[in-house]
Amino acid sequence: MSEWQTYAERRWAGKRVQRLEDPAMLTGATRYVTDIALPRMLELAFVRSHAPNARIVSIDLESPLAVEGVHAVLGPADLADVQPTVDIVHLDAALKTPRFTLPGDRVRYVGEPVAAVLARDRYAAEDGADAVTVELEPLDDAEPIHDDIPDGRYFHQMATHGEVDAAFARAAHTIRRRLHAQRVVTAPMETCGIVADYDAATGELTCYLSTQQPHLARAALAAAVGLPVSDVRIICPAMGGGFGGKEVVLPEYLCAAVAAIRLHRPVRWVEDRSEALTAGAHGKETEAELEAALDADGRILAMRSRFLSDTGAYSSGIGAYVEFMVGAFTVPGLYDLGGYAYDTGGVVTHKAPISPFRGVGMTTSQTLREVLLDDAARTLGVDRMELRRRNMVADGPWRTVLGEEYEPGSWRTAFERALELIDYEGFLVHQAAAREHKARPPRLLGIGVSPFVEAAGIGSAGGAGGLPGGSHDNATVAIDLSGHITVALPTFSHGQGHRTTAAQLVADMFGVAPEDVRVIDGDTARTPFGMGTFGSRSGVFIAGTVNAAGVRVRDKLLRVAEILLEAAHEDLELVDGAVGVRGVPDRRIRLAALAGAAHFAPHVRAELGDPTLTATAFFDPPRPTHSNGTIAATVEVDPDTGAVAIERIVVVEDCGTMVNPMIVEGQIRGGVAQGIGLALLERYVYDESGQPQTTTLAEYLVPRATDLPPIEIEHIETPSENGTGGIKGMAEGPASATPAALACAVLDAIAPYGDEIDALPLRPETIAHALAGAGR
Amino acid sequence: MTAISVTVNGVAHEQDVPPRLLLADLLRDRLGLTGTKIGCAMGACGACTVLLDGEPVRACLMFAVQADGRSVRTVEDLAAPDGGLDPLQAALQAHHGLQCGYCTPGMLMAITPLLDSGRPLDAETVREAIAGNLCRCTGYETIVEAVVEASRP
Repeated sequence: MSEWQTYAERRWAGKRVQRLEDPAMLTGATRYVTDIALPRMLELAFVRSHAPNARIVSIDLESPLAVEGVHAVLGPADLADVQPTVDIVHLDAALKTPRFTLPGDRVRYVGEPVAAVLARDRYAAEDGADAVTVELEPLDDAEPIHDDIPDGRYFHQMATHGEVDAAFARAAHTIRRRLHAQRVVTAPMETCGIVADYDAATGELTCYLSTQQPHLARAALAAAVGLPVSDVRIICPAMGGGFGGKEVVLPEYLCAAVAAIRLHRPVRWVEDRSEALTAGAHGKETEAELEAALDADGRILAMRSRFLSDTGAYSSGIGAYVEFMVGAFTVPGLYDLGGYAYDTGGVVTHKAPISPFRGVGMTTSQTLREVLLDDAARTLGVDRMELRRRNMVADGPWRTVLGEEYEPGSWRTAFERALELIDYEGFLVHQAAAREHKARPPRLLGIGVSPFVEAAGIGSAGGAGGLPGGSHDNATVAIDLSGHITVALPTFSHGQGHRTTAAQLVADMFGVAPEDVRVIDGDTARTPFGMGTFGSRSGVFIAGTVNAAGVRVRDKLLRVAEILLEAAHEDLELVDGAVGVRGVPDRRIRLAALAGAAHFAPHVRAELGDPTLTATAFFDPPRPTHSNGTIAATVEVDPDTGAVAIERIVVVEDCGTMVNPMIVEGQIRGGVAQGIGLALLERYVYDESGQPQTTTLAEYLVPRATDLPPIEIEHIETPSENGTGGIKGMAEGPASATPAALACAVLDAIAPYGDEIDALPLRPETIAHALAGAGR
Repeated sequence: MTAISVTVNGVAHEQDVPPRLLLADLLRDRLGLTGTKIGCAMGACGACTVLLDGEPVRACLMFAVQADGRSVRTVEDLAAPDGGLDPLQAALQAHHGLQCGYCTPGMLMAITPLLDSGRPLDAETVREAIAGNLCRCTGYETIVEAVVEASRP
């Protein structure tokens, strides 16, 4: 399973090949959904709720029709036959939160769409939306948000693995920490959007859509509007970032699709930034608590955790399950816990619905666990890294207390290497001197270290954080009559450079250059079925599917060459776009000639049977891959303002065999940057009445160039046992582990003055307040 | 409607525009130059940065009528007519200074005037210069490296 079967020579895989995607992006030629304009297209703007919890008394849908340029208005009654959507999670005792595309009875959060205005352009559509009057009557917050869920808690699960209560009873020390992981926003630079185009002649609906999962979006959209899946085509021309927030089929999309079908005109809706921040892809908000039982030597006997995610008004898509389930399941991390008990679940509130966001669940569990281990070390008077060494599992395979099977990794090696690179011991000396010096004001220096493991490329048998569900893909490899190679992928690249990565792999299989391989993704009509891009899965699935399909095409191509060259299979080689006989330079045939012969040469046809040089192959990894690494950070905290200056960030990362180290490093840097945002800057704020307070990018702080330090990266390659070619998935681990490194570093810096901080982000005022409270 | 004449990437255009039409929408919807992206429509992200008489401006913060009689340059004008990348574009590719590509046109237009001086730039200067352009993918470091390299003679 793990062997890459198809290349004799690694000419391209493993190299820092420049991206094939870049020239089009750099010249403005790349088209995103917002750049698609069709003849007769209408623009759609939504009327949204300004109240968090209210009964809809009336909606005036007539007035906007008098506005110049307005073509039509849709209200709840017009969308009543669209099936309400529910989340896609199938777990016992999970309560559903059905969501109507435009709810007719009540609104549940500020920004919930209640009507749609279609006009000749966005200006007129917004004029029309302004002309709609919605009369709302506030509802009592004691009323349930969904009738079937009186206490708002739609899912709750508890489990105990190994010995827990007895371990706590005999523990020499018990340490407890709570953490409020704040609500954040995915905030890709391109917002969500759709252009829906219905062909009344064929009954087919084409949607240009900004989605990470073209095939799943196709199925969900078809079901909701009542079309066979085969009558819906999803095209993602290009996507300006997703980060998990573009996995959900939004009610706005259904509205646009229905409007296109009803009006027989193309309809475009592009979310504006204020819509994205008010009612778009929020993420992560979770209240969590962790408790550890340790023996007198600092060995962890058991842990208990509690996670409760604030899901917002609806559990949609995979909902907040990936927060509270993955959070609870990833508490063990790289540590040997004798026993572990968790209590996890989600609750609905009058806020925008939560969607997945890079590092789902793990940012919370990792931060909480690593901060707690630092607490434990301080309590026991043991060095913080020494406490980790006493509990960290050895390099190699590991079965966690939850029964999760880690494939071999460089857990301890990466950890120790990160300590070396950041000069942990030297920093402690430096820090002690600064503390000793008693400068006025004092210098507050801190160091934090966050070793992580990331399950990635999870297949059907993976059990992602206890969530059941299929995860498998197909890819098609084809050689056309001109000898050109095409690869069709159901994953969707939106910054990760899949086209380059896939082309590198295929180039080595067929003896061509990456730029000779055309990679197609983001179109359900041109790609075979697969789950899309999320959960650090694409590298693993692309390698698995492309290898399996490529082998078949390559074998057939070599069979044609055997016939034409009258040579044995083992004497043939694929070099420079041709098949040749090894050691005989003049006996070679170009791919185009081989493809031509396969189709038209009678003696080849007679032997070959089916002439097509095409194969579609399926891949579902037997077990997840596990990448790992350690992030170490040093900071200095300003004692007066509480501002955190990051001095250094070191990342040691092991994602198995790398196809393109440049792209891997891009994912690491981007992940760390988002982790820094989460740790220090970003928070979505509602006031007490449920009104959002951070609805622009001036208030919601995405990290800027001046907020981020250089990131030092070193690689280790422990090949995967489960991913084809030794490839492990990656891209979320660094995002997940960075907040922990920074939280540990900041709490270390202020440790002499107490560390009463139990919420992210660590903003200056929070830190200054904690220092002031400690009498600094 | 107001009649305006504006030169975009060296080509003169006469347009009748409503007074409230944004420069970004003039470029994108009327002239088909969709390389200029809108990220926030309130001047906070820099994705729509274009050059107005050589100076970087936010095309989402300007009305088209304000460009009357002036000259606009967009991302479509940077590469050579044969598609060859300019030194900054090539440096961004070489350093992996872009991922999803959505902030890239604005980033390019914000940086381009900086390089016109011909002075070598250091990393700190570059970070300050692009602090008004948001990128959610790269963490900026590879963009900074690319610009520093492109600024060297």
